[in-house]
Amino acid sequence: MAAPSMSFPRAVFAKLSPHPYLLRTLAPQPPSDAAASRTNGRAPHEARPVHIHTSSLSHAHGSALVRTGDTTVICGVRGEVLPVANIPQYRPQATQQQQQDDSHERADERGGLGRGELKDYDLLVPNIELATGCAPQFLPGVPPTTLAQTLSTRVYSLLHSCRVVDPKSLRIWYTPPTAVGDEMDTEEQQRQQEEADDGDDGPQLAAYWVLYIDLLFVSLDGNPFDAAWTAVMAALRDTKLPAVRWDPDRQAAVLQSYSQPTTTTTATAAAAVPGQDKNSVKTTPLPVAGLPVACTAAMFPEKEHGGESMAASAEATVGNRHWILLDPDRSEETLCSETITMVVDCSEGGETRIKSIEKQGGVVIGRELIRGFAGVAEKRWKEVRDAMQ
Amino acid sequence: MSDRRRINGPVGATIPPASEDGASREVAGSRGGRSRPPNAIRKMYLKTGVTPSASGSAYLEIETSGRSGVSGLKLSCTVHGPRSLPRSSPFSPHIILSTHVKYAPFATRQRRGYLRDPSERDLGTHLEAALRGAIIADRWPKSGVDIIVSIIEGDQDRETSKTQGDESWDLMNALSGCITVASAALADAGIDCIDTVAGGVAALVSDKGDGNPSIVIDPIPSEHDRILAACCIAYLPTRDEVTNLWFKGDLPASDAELYTKLVEKGIQASAKANRVLVECLGETVG
Repeated sequence: MAAPSMSFPRAVFAKLSPHPYLLRTLAPQPPSDAAASRTNGRAPHEARPVHIHTSSLSHAHGSALVRTGDTTVICGVRGEVLPVANIPQYRPQATQQQQQDDSHERADERGGLGRGELKDYDLLVPNIELATGCAPQFLPGVPPTTLAQTLSTRVYSLLHSCRVVDPKSLRIWYTPPTAVGDEMDTEEQQRQQEEADDGDDGPQLAAYWVLYIDLLFVSLDGNPFDAAWTAVMAALRDTKLPAVRWDPDRQAAVLQSYSQPTTTTTATAAAAVPGQDKNSVKTTPLPVAGLPVACTAAMFPEKEHGGESMAASAEATVGNRHWILLDPDRSEETLCSETITMVVDCSEGGETRIKSIEKQGGVVIGRELIRGFAGVAEKRWKEVRDAMQ
Repeated sequence: MSDRRRINGPVGATIPPASEDGASREVAGSRGGRSRPPNAIRKMYLKTGVTPSASGSAYLEIETSGRSGVSGLKLSCTVHGPRSLPRSSPFSPHIILSTHVKYAPFATRQRRGYLRDPSERDLGTHLEAALRGAIIADRWPKSGVDIIVSIIEGDQDRETSKTQGDESWDLMNALSGCITVASAALADAGIDCIDTVAGGVAALVSDKGDGNPSIVIDPIPSEHDRILAACCIAYLPTRDEVTNLWFKGDLPASDAELYTKLVEKGIQASAKANRVLVECLGETVG
């Protein structure tokens, strides 16, 4: 076999035989003294810098644009009101108790009622749209691809398992006006008494906010999950739900503006944003717990799969080396079959907490590597945290 | 039947929060009137190459009118191709355009679904008509090109939903933006065109102050009391050709002059947008 002619430009070589090309750049041959790097010029453990821009959409309640390298994703969060009358499987007493009784909130934390509320009533609705022509294989006019469905489901389950959103902040209460009259006749008083016995006197849970989290990929160059998850977190932290008052006559939530006298408010104290004009609607920032950050890496094996490549089999004697490529781009993703995604959160007292580990497609990444990967994810967490501020 | 490939949310219907007593607030609020001269378009920002993996792409942003609650138009366009048609498709002596226009779910006041609705399909056909006249189609027989426009933010006022009644005027502005951005993306993809094509809108409006209706270009529905008629033009400046004309509204049939004037103003708006387009493409090349 003739020695490969290196008269090709690098880009052509990378396109013709990407696997040996990436292998050569990662493991330079002895005569050359180039440092090991990937074809895109990054070191194996180097991620692309994250750029986050929030509040750029005016119709959404919270929005973020996240760009890592050539992957760009836009996330918009919009709240809509779900009256409890529209929930077929609604259980009133459970939530009533929670509001009155603080001890029950402990039960929430242990995965009790509060979590059930979010999940049973489906209050978080994340969806990912890839069919925007963000890459040549994602064209519109077809149903969502498997990748889009998988990503939506992963974001959905991670939102629930990390408990990013507190269900308490999504409740809309209604306090019935207490009509106390001295000159009421006894019959009416009796009826009032009965109503009080029913427990209708205190604030009632009238509706829930449903958060529609819509993600739109403008451009996709590998690692969609990390970008999507970062966008979700940035958009949720940016979300400001309007203060609403429940109107029992219209059976609808009505926006409160600054000019209106406030009588009943939502669950949390509304923080007035200064500098807004008088007619604008009062908003409350959505409390978001923690800052989980996803960190994905792909495992690049020295041996190409299937053994169809002559170059790879010739070098098989060197050994079964592999490289962990952090934040893989699209060309690297096609070469690697084994990926790992770790979600960590270091915001709670500086301690790293692992929220989720997902690994698929191979047997190389073992226990030791995963343990080491936690450190890498921790570093990534700091980068993303800095970008969010 | 719900869409099982997406996450659909709660079974019961959700409603966006209602505003306090409907229209009373809006009228008191931001009815500022037009802040630009009648023959000036809004500032726009155009950039090509936002999606590196596509053959060509462009991003267009038209500034807001500077008041809160009014959004500008934000569009992203990708072009994929020219590529060979699938084997099953019949022979075509020229390139086949397929255009998709889709509003993002968060683009408008009401949340949009993921399935394309008729108005989006309508925009797609208009866009195809506008571009077909500009592309030298017989240079690529047996091939196709996909043009996808995502409307990231629609040109809609949040408050004037009820006063105007319908959203059809917004569609005109959206279409003119789509034409401009798609033309930039086509040029970025290196597809041969006889000229750059840009969109422009002119409208016959009546304001509260004077009774006489006047013609303005690049109208924002919220700035005017009433829009009587509007037309969206796709125009090739060097050839002096109109590739697409979309007219809506009612004009008195007796006054043919008015109709011609409206089209002329539309061409004027289109020529102004074209200047931005050419400047942007010049920067990319240079």
